[in-house]
Amino acid sequence: MAHAHAQAHAHAHAHGHKKRYTGVMDWITTVDHKKIGILYLFAGLLFFAIGGLEALFIRLQLAYPMNDVVSAQRFNELITMHGTTMLFLAALPILYGFFNFIIPLQIGARDVAFPFLNSLGFWTFFFGGVLLNIGFFTGDTLPDSGWTAYAPLATEYSAGRGMDMYSIGLQLSGIGTLLGGLNFVVTIVNMRAPGMTMMRMPLFCWTAFITSILIVFAFSALAVGLLMISFDRLFGGNFFNTAAGGNEILWQHIFWIFGHPEVYILVLPAFGILSEVIPTFSRKRLFGYTSMVFATSIIGFLGFMVWAHHMFTVGMGAVANTMFAVATMLIAVPTGIKIFNWIFTMWKGQIRFTAANLFAIGFIPSFTIGGVTGVMLAMAASDYVFHDTYFVVAHFHYVIVGGTVHGIFAALFYWFPKMFGRTLNETLGKITFWLLLIGFNLTFFIQHWLGVVGMPRRVYTYLDGQPGWNEMNLVSTIGALLMGVSVVILVINIVITLMKPKNATNDPWEDGRTMEWAIPSPPPEYNFKQTPLVRGLDAWWVEKRAGNKEMTPAEPVGPIHMPNGSILPFIMSIGLFIAGIGFMYDTLLMIVGGLGILVICMILRSLIDDPGYHIEPEEIEGKGVKA
Amino acid sequence: MSHAHAEGHTIDHLERATLEGKNKILGFWIFLGAEMVIFGTLFAAHIGLRGELNGGVSGSEIFSLPIVAIMTALLLTSSMTSVLAIQAMHRHELKGVALWLGITVLLALGFLGLEIYEFVHYVHEYHFNIQQSPFSTTFYVLVGCHGTHVAIGIVWISLLIGQLFKKGLTVVTAPKVYVASLYWHFIDVVWVFIFTVVYLMGKVG
Amino acid sequence: MAHVGQAPAGDQVKRSKGHEGPRNHLITFAISIILTILAFAAVSIPGISKGFVYTLLVLMAIMQVVVQLAFWMHLKDRGHFWPTLAMIFGALCIVYVVASAVFWIWFV
Repeated sequence: MAHAHAQAHAHAHAHGHKKRYTGVMDWITTVDHKKIGILYLFAGLLFFAIGGLEALFIRLQLAYPMNDVVSAQRFNELITMHGTTMLFLAALPILYGFFNFIIPLQIGARDVAFPFLNSLGFWTFFFGGVLLNIGFFTGDTLPDSGWTAYAPLATEYSAGRGMDMYSIGLQLSGIGTLLGGLNFVVTIVNMRAPGMTMMRMPLFCWTAFITSILIVFAFSALAVGLLMISFDRLFGGNFFNTAAGGNEILWQHIFWIFGHPEVYILVLPAFGILSEVIPTFSRKRLFGYTSMVFATSIIGFLGFMVWAHHMFTVGMGAVANTMFAVATMLIAVPTGIKIFNWIFTMWKGQIRFTAANLFAIGFIPSFTIGGVTGVMLAMAASDYVFHDTYFVVAHFHYVIVGGTVHGIFAALFYWFPKMFGRTLNETLGKITFWLLLIGFNLTFFIQHWLGVVGMPRRVYTYLDGQPGWNEMNLVSTIGALLMGVSVVILVINIVITLMKPKNATNDPWEDGRTMEWAIPSPPPEYNFKQTPLVRGLDAWWVEKRAGNKEMTPAEPVGPIHMPNGSILPFIMSIGLFIAGIGFMYDTLLMIVGGLGILVICMILRSLIDDPGYHIEPEEIEGKGVKA
Repeated sequence: MSHAHAEGHTIDHLERATLEGKNKILGFWIFLGAEMVIFGTLFAAHIGLRGELNGGVSGSEIFSLPIVAIMTALLLTSSMTSVLAIQAMHRHELKGVALWLGITVLLALGFLGLEIYEFVHYVHEYHFNIQQSPFSTTFYVLVGCHGTHVAIGIVWISLLIGQLFKKGLTVVTAPKVYVASLYWHFIDVVWVFIFTVVYLMGKVG
Repeated sequence: MAHVGQAPAGDQVKRSKGHEGPRNHLITFAISIILTILAFAAVSIPGISKGFVYTLLVLMAIMQVVVQLAFWMHLKDRGHFWPTLAMIFGALCIVYVVASAVFWIWFV
């Protein structure tokens, strides 16, 4: 490798300096993992806002019996888009933002394994998301068959272009997600700094690793399922056409083989975030690190084995139902281990109730409630009662809002100074937390009862005079409005903080344990001046205990090789976007044109080598003084 | 990018000489894992639905085993020749690499030609198009997905041969060749299951 | 799992000399051809039960694929821990997808 390095070095001298873009061009050409992480974060927050508005409209419609804020068709579109947007375009991309920004810093790498692919993944996801929402601009019907897109509702009984947007838009954003997952797996396996063994990796990296593996295998099943829906809708295929002998249950299998791992894809990173935030603000190392790693792996593995518990009422027979019920309940064991480990981490620790830590602590009871109702649903016999009622809605919102969203907000407050060099306002953060906690419990706790007294999911209105429905629905809507207010306060907090000068120190929480806190906030583009040597779990804490002011270097100061930015990923994604619209509207010219752009860009990428450029030691020293 | 692990290791394989090369190879294996699930799901649909004819023709009526046998022989041999290309690369013989890759592409073209002939034949002779039955839909999507992979592989490997002549065997081109050969083997591996499950089992009924 | 404990980018480039060379690859080719011919022959012979032929065909396909993965794609070599894991995980996924779909459509 020394020889390769020397060769690349020689290259750089031959090629001179990097073309430096500024402004918008900088953002669309960047291959820097930190900038792509920020792009993911803001794109995710944008879709989070859209999905949140859709949720508010759903709740407003259901606030009173026989309400007519929106029409029945519009309501179907709203619930479909709310679910799809929140899961695929908001939660996962925001988590990807943190993966991108934090993982290379925590494992001591200068970038992810495939910087170009990283950028391609982001732009493909983004344009896929735009395609999914394109009905807002073209005036077509939006996707309206629920985020699960059950056949034949999605294939035969959904008029208009809505479900084509769903299948093609999700296909694109799924490809982007898949590329990202692949990238993180390779990054974590191959790019760790010297001394950073797998069992010394911060738990956030471990959960990201398991999540990425799940993404690689689960999203490819989704890709095929969406392809099948596209074939049935666009080319007259017979996969799910029961009249011709097709099988609509096949879709349910493929969807849930993807869909159940997706749940763990969303919640495992939140587990990882908690395992970083709670030790930091308890001034204690994480309790039971090894058991946490194994619990994560077991959850990931079992998560693949239990998909059919979404289909208990399809008629699988008692034996299959029992097997999947038992397997599902097994997942409660490793999850319980995690809950206890976090509590034991806090036990006798010096706990600081910062906003980040409040969200992390709030996660524990909320997620536990979601887990307990999950076990109730896992019992096949009781699932026959709960199936398709608001009890299920309450359950998965406790898992997703109580789990993933709390985790995301904890991470946002925790890593914001590292990402942007400024600490979010703590007071506003605490107001956000309490409003969210109250609003979220008000919205969803009562829905358990609403479900048990019989209100079904996905109905656009209900008759007056049902036992308690009016009051409970109204309470739920008030709670949703409170959640809306809490998110608005968070957005205000982000905006005013970004307008302040950068003043965060390397280690703004003072008790940082992992390597990202050993370098400036925000980090320079090369992350580490010298690749660090990792001497134990919680690498930065180990150095601090030894009285060091920075990480022990593993290499002398030398020129740092960096990849050049590229506009190609952006153009490739536009090509895919154009081809997607072409498929939707049956326009051969756009299909050929879009795919042509894609292929030309791929060929260009393959033919033109990127020698990258070097940052010379003098330049690094200069920056070091300034920082 | 360097982690400076070079000291003390024998670098006898060009494709793994740099961290970028290693990343590319590992990343491609993970991609192949995803591809396995993609094809596996298509196989699942085909196995489940191949008995649903919707009044149309069945596999045992239309499949012609001699053509399938020729296609199998072509693809299996092309997989072998791509191994020989990698061996030539390890001996640093640029011409050998290009020659064996060229033969791989020719054999693949033969395979693709036969597959297109086969599809056209089915449609004209038996009106066996994608809309006829669940069997026809799953057949065309599964086998067509494999055929698309073959076509992509042909374009990819042809471009690689051109690059090799322009740039030679370097730490940049070697991982590309290695990864392309992995891809090609994988296509053959998928075909093993296609001729077994789709054609031979389809012929048995 | 020994590999897990190592530093990244360890000694994956170090490999035993001598296994290279066309011999193993040609043997793999021969095994593949023989298994393929056997498979085509199995369906041409009349009078064997369908279930037996199916089992035989699947077993031979799996054998052929395993041999090709191990030798042509070098999975048997050192430094292939993660690739092997990826293939095993993918195979597991396939088994349960196929099994569940077939179980569903045929028997329920």
